[in-house]
Amino acid sequence: MQHPPAWLIAPALASFVAAPAFAVQYLDIGQAQKLFFPQADSFTAVPLLLTGEQKTFVEKAAGVRMRYARQPVWKVSENGTHLGWVAQDEVYGKHEFITYAVALDAAGAVRGVEILDYRETHGREVRNPNWRAQFNGKTHGAPLRLDNDIQNISGATLSCKHLSEGVRRILALHAAALK
Amino acid sequence: MSRAVRAPSAPGGHAIKRARPLLGTLVEIGAHGASAQAVDAAIDQAFAAVQAIHELMSYHDPASDVSRLNRAGAGCVTVHPHTWAVLALARDVAEASDGRFDISIAPELVRHGYLPRHAGFAQPAPEANWQHIELLPGDRVRLARTLHLDLGGIAKGYAVDCAIRALRDAGMDAGRVNAGGDLRLFGAAEEAIHVRHPHAATRLLPLCRLSDGAVATSATYYAGRLMDGRAVSPLIDAATRRPCAGGRSVSVLAGRCAVADALTKVVYADPEAALSALRHFGAHAVVLDADSDTPGHCRARASAPGGWHDLALTGPEAIAA
Repeated sequence: MQHPPAWLIAPALASFVAAPAFAVQYLDIGQAQKLFFPQADSFTAVPLLLTGEQKTFVEKAAGVRMRYARQPVWKVSENGTHLGWVAQDEVYGKHEFITYAVALDAAGAVRGVEILDYRETHGREVRNPNWRAQFNGKTHGAPLRLDNDIQNISGATLSCKHLSEGVRRILALHAAALK
Repeated sequence: MSRAVRAPSAPGGHAIKRARPLLGTLVEIGAHGASAQAVDAAIDQAFAAVQAIHELMSYHDPASDVSRLNRAGAGCVTVHPHTWAVLALARDVAEASDGRFDISIAPELVRHGYLPRHAGFAQPAPEANWQHIELLPGDRVRLARTLHLDLGGIAKGYAVDCAIRALRDAGMDAGRVNAGGDLRLFGAAEEAIHVRHPHAATRLLPLCRLSDGAVATSATYYAGRLMDGRAVSPLIDAATRRPCAGGRSVSVLAGRCAVADALTKVVYADPEAALSALRHFGAHAVVLDADSDTPGHCRARASAPGGWHDLALTGPEAIAA
């Protein structure tokens, strides 16, 4: 008779634990920039503040609403040659709050997308200013982490629809203000 | 090797974890190796492997092998060796489960709004199923009848396996890949795996400790939809060709993630009938079901050679309202 494998420790020993919010930090923006453009020697911050007209253009071209007119963007170069752009952005859906970076080459094509940090949320807390305030000043910290083991959650399929919309918006933003 | 993958400053090596949007979800890849550069390069290779599988097996992308087969109608098509390998494994799972795993259920997924309707696809033949997909030498596939296939139930796990191979080939001594719940790891010390309460995604249950192996979970807490006022899941019971009911969470543990991924669908549809398929692949499963007698509670059972045996959950597992 075959026995259950040693690695299957029956949940008889365990009970459910509450996970109010779960956060992982993957990269900071500086690390992401270097991964996208290892050969670059300069990343110059050129934060965008869109005019009303540009904002309307982006919303129309990308088909998504722009929450803020401001967008952190870096111009990337090597020995004075323009290589492309890195934009930082955030999206939030029903269960997730994701900060990510998009790299565009000099022609404005997507060179890569890396997740900077991911916070999982449930219910309405993400729309609650007090809940969001806990992240202020520690965007890249590791808030509300239960324990290291919690990172292995099987069955966490979340749609990346909002991320695709975000990347589409960054592309439209390039067309509106970075060309 | 006793270092955990996640140790950010493990002595004698570097651990890095990154994530990208791929396969319609967030794919997280972590590895431990000799230097930060080596680990970053290995993770790049692993993401490239996932991307390649995504491009070959996407139902949405008109250039994928899957779309070429779906457009072709009855006839012969040469596919990438990866696609052929996934079709061969899908056949093995279908045979071992008496057809409860069937990749020809795309028309049902389209009907229930889980896949887009493609204009260019030939009309599927009635009664067409996995048995009409013939695998020929030379990576050729012959469709005996026009059918629409979707590899959504197996390709994600296969992509995880390919990413793990890329990390090993790049010389990593430990690694972990998690594609939205399809998870595989190697080389590290044991790690705890958690699953969610089938009715409350914020409640986590420690499922097992895993080293060198894969686990995949199918549940409907994020994916369920209402159709004509009735909750339907994206899991189709191949026996009835109708969506399974929600409220269940199935985790399968196996050596390969593709096997674990595919078997979750078989177990979800019919746990009793799935036992022989689990045995065939040397896999194990844990099923969580909402307890109809005590609202907010659930019952757990694990597969064993003689049948399913109930697991006692200790402690307060009730969901906070």
